Amino acid sequence: MRRGTALSVVALTLAALLVSPTDASARRARKKKSPARSRPAAAPSFDPRLPILGTKLAEFPPGPAKAVADQACLACHSVDIVAQQRLTEKQWGAELTKMAGWGADFPADRREELLGYLVKNFGPDAAPWEPVVTRPTGR
Amino acid sequence: MKNTPEGVDALSIDRRRFLALAGVAAVVPGAALAAVTDSIPVARRRMLQRNGYAIDAETPLDALSTYLTPNDLFFVRHHWNPQYAGHKGWFLTIDGEVERPLRLTAQDLRRLPRTTVTCVLQCAGNGRGLYQPFVPGVQWKYGAVGNARWTGVRVRDLLEQAGLKRAGHHLHTFGSDKPPVRTPPFHRSVEIEKIMADAIVADEMNGEPLPALHGGPARLVVPGWAGEHWTKWLERLSVAAESQKGFYMETAYRYPKVIGAPGVAVPPAETRPVTELFVKSNVTEAPPRARVGSAALLRGFAFSGTPDVARVEISDDDGQSWQPADLDPQHDPWAWRLWSFRWSPKTAGRRTLFVRATDSAGAVQPREAAWNPSGYLYNGWHSASIEVDA
Repeated sequence: MRRGTALSVVALTLAALLVSPTDASARRARKKKSPARSRPAAAPSFDPRLPILGTKLAEFPPGPAKAVADQACLACHSVDIVAQQRLTEKQWGAELTKMAGWGADFPADRREELLGYLVKNFGPDAAPWEPVVTRPTGR
Repeated sequence: MKNTPEGVDALSIDRRRFLALAGVAAVVPGAALAAVTDSIPVARRRMLQRNGYAIDAETPLDALSTYLTPNDLFFVRHHWNPQYAGHKGWFLTIDGEVERPLRLTAQDLRRLPRTTVTCVLQCAGNGRGLYQPFVPGVQWKYGAVGNARWTGVRVRDLLEQAGLKRAGHHLHTFGSDKPPVRTPPFHRSVEIEKIMADAIVADEMNGEPLPALHGGPARLVVPGWAGEHWTKWLERLSVAAESQKGFYMETAYRYPKVIGAPGVAVPPAETRPVTELFVKSNVTEAPPRARVGSAALLRGFAFSGTPDVARVEISDDDGQSWQPADLDPQHDPWAWRLWSFRWSPKTAGRRTLFVRATDSAGAVQPREAAWNPSGYLYNGWHSASIEVDA
């Protein structure tokens, strides 16, 4: 499964599962045009400015190996799980070996380049990573 | 507790209102869910996304202030993007070392005798992000945990109906989620003694149909044991003589038999499976400021892999002395216990208050969690930092 397909599946799944009933009721409320029939929409139980869980997806940082990282990693998981790691070169090497065994798609002759990119951006001294604050998950 | 997004802000839940709502919860689960949800202020109703896909998200500590964690604020941990089956066409197969294999639809399951268990579900890796040296994996801090009312059918009843054979010592569990490419499948098993004691196949969570994000149509519930046993999107239970094999039994979810030095690898032969949760407590609410001579109210939760928490204590002198916190009367075996503590600061300045729990078997929460190579079962003392004005 390539990245585009994976993202489409994820987007559809999230649309089905994560849109809160409050959003649906708000849309219904907006469709009602007759003032006599309209009721005030229930106040949302969360801050509606927050993104829906799973829809705010980070990108890998720029660099010559970004395309290799995109191809190797994003068919199965988002950037988040990579970007929150703070691993040494030895630890990243072990991760690459494990992921290649599990099917991560990157050319063998670009492994060292990918390893250097991961260590540079997500090594022990990289700046702290913060999670994305999102809405509750919906029912 | 540091001033992070997971940190705690000012108090705002009215205690009497909360206790009244929690009382309702005991008799009308469905109504209670809405009520408990309402008792969490809108500003706290949010999640912390640790992976966009497959979804991993934890609950901020200040939203874990109620006895029952609302379904829409309950942490989510997916290994990969699941295929949501829905109820139509779903069935649960029970086979292996049984006399009469069963195939149950969702409707069949609902016709069997029902039971409800209120207990904690915690990801084995909750707190991994707090270990030093750094451990690879989802960097959970405090909120990959929640307490919910799970309703369904005892696995013991299912296995007795199927005719459990004497050769059966392990229950292999299979969900419908399929791994991508060559990633190993998430195949797990649980010892039959634990299964027969108290495991259930749950199709309801807090009085609602089990949400797909949490494993619906049905998942396994294994009270007191870490989340990797609670197989989601359950489709097959198979009894066998031996435990299940593979990456998620033999490599992942293992804990050193003997704790070694931080940062040092442990050979697989010197590890055991992660099973029972460790005794643990957290602060969910504490005022950022207080005044000498005025009481400041702290609240939180405590739980363990043994059925109950015996006491929760607070120290304002770096662990030299401890004062007991009040335990909320509401509790169930393997559920968490809410606690509260009125602290009267005697001197001005920035003060750190530590909390620790002791469980019904006498296990005491340690100051430092035991570092382990996969970062499981973090349970070091939690703290709140309060600025005290003269």
